[in-house]
Amino acid sequence: MILEALAEFLTLGELGGVIVNGLAKSALYVMIASGLTLIFGLMGVLNFAHGSLTMVGAYLGGLLMVVTVTGGTAPITRLGLFFIAIVVVFALLTVLGGAIETTIIRPLYDRPPIYQILLTFGLTLVIEEIVRIVLGIYDLQPLSDWQAALATKPQFLREPVALGPVSAGWLSLFQILLGTITVVSIWAFLTKTRYGLYIRAGSEDTEMASALGIDVRQVFTVVFALGIGLAGAAGTLLMWDPTWGASVPLAAETLLPAFIVVIVGGLGTFRGTVVAALVVGMADAVTTWWFQNVIEFTGLPELVLFLVLVVTLIVRPQGLFGVEEVGGH
Amino acid sequence: MYHTLLNSPVSAETQMLLPTVETMVGVLYFGLFAISFDFISGYTGYLSFGHAVFYGTGAYTVILIANGKLPLLGPGTPFMLSLLVGGLIAIALAILVGLVSFRLSGVYFAMITLGFAQVFYVFVRGWDYVATNPRDGPAVGPSHAEGFQIGAPGIDQLSLSIGVLTGDEVALLGSTLSGTEVSYYMIGLVVLVCYFAMQRVIHSPFGRVMIAVRENEERAVAIGYNTYLYKLGAFAISGFFAAVAGGLFAGFKRSASPENSFYFLVTGDALLASIIGGFGTLAGSLYGHLFDETVREFLSKAGQGGGLLPYLRALLGQETLDATLVGETTIGGLIDLLLNGHASLYVGLVFVLFVLYVPDGLLGTLRARVGGTFADALPAKLWGDSE
Repeated sequence: MILEALAEFLTLGELGGVIVNGLAKSALYVMIASGLTLIFGLMGVLNFAHGSLTMVGAYLGGLLMVVTVTGGTAPITRLGLFFIAIVVVFALLTVLGGAIETTIIRPLYDRPPIYQILLTFGLTLVIEEIVRIVLGIYDLQPLSDWQAALATKPQFLREPVALGPVSAGWLSLFQILLGTITVVSIWAFLTKTRYGLYIRAGSEDTEMASALGIDVRQVFTVVFALGIGLAGAAGTLLMWDPTWGASVPLAAETLLPAFIVVIVGGLGTFRGTVVAALVVGMADAVTTWWFQNVIEFTGLPELVLFLVLVVTLIVRPQGLFGVEEVGGH
Repeated sequence: MYHTLLNSPVSAETQMLLPTVETMVGVLYFGLFAISFDFISGYTGYLSFGHAVFYGTGAYTVILIANGKLPLLGPGTPFMLSLLVGGLIAIALAILVGLVSFRLSGVYFAMITLGFAQVFYVFVRGWDYVATNPRDGPAVGPSHAEGFQIGAPGIDQLSLSIGVLTGDEVALLGSTLSGTEVSYYMIGLVVLVCYFAMQRVIHSPFGRVMIAVRENEERAVAIGYNTYLYKLGAFAISGFFAAVAGGLFAGFKRSASPENSFYFLVTGDALLASIIGGFGTLAGSLYGHLFDETVREFLSKAGQGGGLLPYLRALLGQETLDATLVGETTIGGLIDLLLNGHASLYVGLVFVLFVLYVPDGLLGTLRARVGGTFADALPAKLWGDSE
């Protein structure tokens, strides 16, 4: 039975479908995790509030779409509005991130790193309850996906598309596109701009960077703000995906995979995060296929994600591309 | 005590301010879990972010034994033995996890323990051997209808049952203790014994090495200690007591779900308790959790013990509640919106403030003020310094 399933798995149609799905998942993972990895790489702050802010981004993005889209809006207009929504959410959360960093994270830099974990953990409690209160005002269910936001998705994104023998969803292709845009723009920002140079210098050696005249405190604020902005943008994208959707538990659902991706890639390397997102996304897609077709164990994909984490840490403790010193080795 | 206060003139205030007895039982067993978390995280500096796995192991062991699902141990196994078995399984688990995890440190250690715990969480949630609906978790079945007994196993006169409905009632000095109150004292007894045991370990040479690991692990190695073994030992001890706490929880509640035993946010609650109480103070974790629960119950309707919301409703009266503020919002609606089930918001705010301004926690700060532990400082203050 296993062999038959394996033969079916290896046919071009099935395998191609799994690969496209895997790429789409990788794109989502890289969007969720890139903000986290930027913040950790430079500042050594493991931001537990990242998932909550992704969730806030999902709701904000959903809100913008629900307000602007009506039943008769054309698909192209909807896509255009979606891109505007992503940019607006990114901007809003960047401001929020900057505010958080300057007011409550900054006093903690000279304390042991555990206090930053604790602080951001407390922040998640506050953010989630505020979201619940706001949802309560508008009579939305915090635990189930926000259907009105899902409904703003243009019809064609729900339909499959045939790429030769492979059948894939338009939504997957859309996610891959956005993931690629994110990776390329972060990469360009880090390597082609002066500010990116500051960030890389700061990640490598904060003291040396400040000795060379870089205002490291300001760089910290900017990176934290941008990282939070990325979390929000990722949330907006997830809002349209029926397997995620805007809901309060989205915070924990995204936080754990984001941690896995960041740790597997190695703390503080953007390249590692991208590769790890690919690995984790593919592992997720492959196990999801096996779970749907052969093995009946509901938690299989989730189980495998954590096994990837555990095995990576056993075999290569600093992660795929990590540097030994980062993260307290 | 609680009942005396309830029958006194300040009964409304009592009901508002104090948590119910049932909550207090929860404070005890979860406090023990928080203490065991503090034992490893606060004293060796290794943040065990997957600690919930031991708590869950203890809880599930007790229920599975009671349902006759564990080989060799029938439903009639004494509760104290179940606790011990759960603890031993947790020790084995801790050694397996620790063997791998203690090769790492810092954030990586926190993450790999988290990874292990989540693997178990997902696994237990999907394994239909433990319960007919594993997502909701197991409950104690009809094969063990009587309450779990704490005391000397086999001797009825020296044991008392625990549980809200199944607990023994005891007539004592003219008043009757209800099942919940008996549970409070019996569970409190076990928690106290466990606390003293951990306290003893901390003050032994073994505990000194644990602190040395936290302060400067390289130096501890240089002196000649095999810190790897010490960390592993501390982790196993901590896992044992976490499992005992989980067992007490399952024994009292008679059911457990993956969400309230194995999930990583359970560890988060323990973390909350240790930070508020004082990281690396052991007893502080219990007070921290007490504080946490009191605030939660005070500010949300969830606990049936009253709290601010019903009190305000009664105090303000219907007319004030119906008065409109802005637009269609009434005062009652506003109170409802802000206080009904949103305790996490306030707990989170308190927590953030603690991390920012009281980094040593309640007990840590108090100890710093009196200049040592209370056991040392109090006699010195009362009878003057002997030096």
